[in-house]
Amino acid sequence: MKVSFNELQGMGRKAFIGIGFAEGDAIDAAEMVAWMEAHGLGGVAALKKGLAYLLTEDPADTPTLVYQDADFSVLDAHNHSILGNASLAVELGYARARARGLSITKIRRCHNRVLVIGYLSRLARRGMNVTAFWRNSHEPLIEQVVGFKAGHPVPEICVYSLEDVPDDVEKNDGITLIMANHVDLLPSLRSDYALTNLMRQTEEELENQRDRALVEGLEVDDQLWKTLKSLADRLLVEASEASRGGAGAGKSDDD
Amino acid sequence: MATQLNINTELKLRPAARVMNLVRLGSLHASRLSFSRSLVRQMAREDWTVSTVRNDLDDQGHGVVIYRLETPHHIYHGVVFSRHLDPEQRSDRVIAEAWDVTFALVEGPVDDILLEQMESNVPLQEAGRQNPRLLVLSRANKSLRNFGYFVEALAEGRQPDPAWLTRVGYLYRTTAVYGNGKFGIADYARLQKNPDFNRPFSAQMFAVYLLRHFSIHQVEHLARCRAPDQAVGLAPALQRYLGIGNSTGLGMAPFLINHPQLIQQWVYCRERALAWAREQPPTEASRLHLMTLLRRAHQHFVETVTEDAEQTRRNAATVTSIAAVIVWLDQMQASPALWDELLNWADDNCSLEAQELINTLLIELYPDVIDAAEDELACEEILELQPEMKATALKQMIENRFAWALDYDPKNPDHKYWFWYRSVEKEEPRLGVRAEEPGAEKELPLAIGPRIYRTYQLLDAFLDRSPRGSVVEFLMAHPGQKECVRRIQTMGATPYGEIQANLWHRDMKPMHLLRTKLSFFGASRFDPKSDRWVRVTLFQGAPLFRELFSDHGADMARLAALDDWSFPVEPDSDSL
Repeated sequence: MKVSFNELQGMGRKAFIGIGFAEGDAIDAAEMVAWMEAHGLGGVAALKKGLAYLLTEDPADTPTLVYQDADFSVLDAHNHSILGNASLAVELGYARARARGLSITKIRRCHNRVLVIGYLSRLARRGMNVTAFWRNSHEPLIEQVVGFKAGHPVPEICVYSLEDVPDDVEKNDGITLIMANHVDLLPSLRSDYALTNLMRQTEEELENQRDRALVEGLEVDDQLWKTLKSLADRLLVEASEASRGGAGAGKSDDD
Repeated sequence: MATQLNINTELKLRPAARVMNLVRLGSLHASRLSFSRSLVRQMAREDWTVSTVRNDLDDQGHGVVIYRLETPHHIYHGVVFSRHLDPEQRSDRVIAEAWDVTFALVEGPVDDILLEQMESNVPLQEAGRQNPRLLVLSRANKSLRNFGYFVEALAEGRQPDPAWLTRVGYLYRTTAVYGNGKFGIADYARLQKNPDFNRPFSAQMFAVYLLRHFSIHQVEHLARCRAPDQAVGLAPALQRYLGIGNSTGLGMAPFLINHPQLIQQWVYCRERALAWAREQPPTEASRLHLMTLLRRAHQHFVETVTEDAEQTRRNAATVTSIAAVIVWLDQMQASPALWDELLNWADDNCSLEAQELINTLLIELYPDVIDAAEDELACEEILELQPEMKATALKQMIENRFAWALDYDPKNPDHKYWFWYRSVEKEEPRLGVRAEEPGAEKELPLAIGPRIYRTYQLLDAFLDRSPRGSVVEFLMAHPGQKECVRRIQTMGATPYGEIQANLWHRDMKPMHLLRTKLSFFGASRFDPKSDRWVRVTLFQGAPLFRELFSDHGADMARLAALDDWSFPVEPDSDSL
């Protein structure tokens, strides 16, 4: 079915609160999904993939700080979705970059990683250069690099596969975030290495995609929408005589 | 982003504690910056034209009517479906499932495929899936007494008594006017680059204005069907005096809390307009102009009728106050300090509603200075976190900018008497008594005051442990505070975004919230049906489509005359 951006965002917000997210996290998560979908980056598909996990996670189980110094932070997201309160881990990196000019933040053990792009847009709007990088953990090994320039609300994205798989066998299910106050981190997401490009999207392409989405609406799987609706309905209060009076309407609308 | 504090600090803006007081906000009136006024000015300035491209009403007035709107930039269509409504289905509430008319404003052409889709879905309203080319979706019910009386009078070849429109100023009353992506229609973001409807609620206001046009069309059609040889059209003065009703309940309240940056922009633009007006040197002509406006407004409130005892008392107080202002102003000369003296005098001698009415009318005097503000009523809405801020600075910000929120006393049951929630019945917003009704665990987080109080308490304890801590460190310890903190940080930089009231408090009147928003829409004739349900009238006195031309804005005198329709008074029945 087709839904509007505002509907997806609103339904997502209510569904995440229904799951048990705090209000701020629910707002952020819904915005991340809707933002990604509107820019053609598969927000709805990512949500569909991660929703079953989300329903089993404890929203109060927040990422913990494993290591930090003035420039570098490592957090453990406990195998939870990035949609939970991982945004604070990102904000920690932002605060460090504001204070020190540059920061590196590693969020280990998290899934639904692609959705982080939706949140990073916020940081770029606040004037931060942001590069996010992650790899999947199975063959073919794929790297995804996302670069936001300060002040630009949409990124440049590059996804490519690596032909030479390293010997490193440690599970790589984290995100690395590099933020810089004043330095343009990746002027262009290109490399001299021979890469097998799977996807490359420019800022202009993403903006055009968003404009199209606003005209045509966003496609959402019927079953997913039904699930979101039932989660959102957890916030509704059963009707009673007292509650019907709580609306405060008149008894008759004949006039 | 909402306008920040450091702009125009030299202006004499009224303090937020005064302006954002809920009772004062609940005393606001429509002004020249209200959305309906602004829309009519734009339509007249740009010579918008409306024509009827399909007119299929049967002798019961049921069927389809399609109007075509042409602006300098685009073409739109207004599609109205009129159907029989069983009396037992007639309800103003959101839980209704059928209406006398349902209608939509469409961007671009309406072909047969789209019309068929609309015919299946628009009458269902919330239960339908709407096309993304629809900009507005709405519905309305008849004011049966007015409607029947008007058809009867016109069919008998006479004009209806204008007093009927003074009692109830419309033939149709809308019960919801949806925009911004609801039920699949177009997102507001799509309109942001559209010069026709990029102002807040302007597309919705246009749809309501179009319904007014339809209501005249339909009532005249029915009169002609009933007595083809005898029926007359509605006199132009009555057409002008005819508005559109709106029936509103608590559903309007969450918007005011959930869009603080927009509220800041609306209130700031109005307050800045007032500050600008106060700065203008009074002249004899402007003094006399203000007296003319006061006399008309006085008559408007003398005529205004409501069954609600409290609103009747408020209207009577307005009438008394404005009569006194007219006497006072009549004795004064146009000295440089006249406007300041007037407002100071009003503070000491007039009711709240009258004080705000005087402010509204003072703004009327200076369109050249003030009207450009209508392009600033929209803003990008995003509450931004400043994670690097020191936690001590956040605490100080709360103390300096949100002291009103710290008045909350969690031990006092009156301070947490109410809770806000949505019912399973069509998600209708409702208000419950916390100590008596179930559902408080699912309450909507609308009471910002108690939330800021809670943040403040946690911040205080955090600073005891980490006196040099930052906001992000505070939030890592208390992640649930993120939304409140970014709201404090964002809105702390602006004066007017937060309504300074505890929405849980036993003494809180939801009606004030409804009136706040409705005044910005341009509503008049506030007619409360309870402390949380109100009927109002929009566009009463506004010029008609056929009057809206000004040689593309070149004829300034005509534009000014078309714009002068606030606080309309009953037409003289002998002149019809």
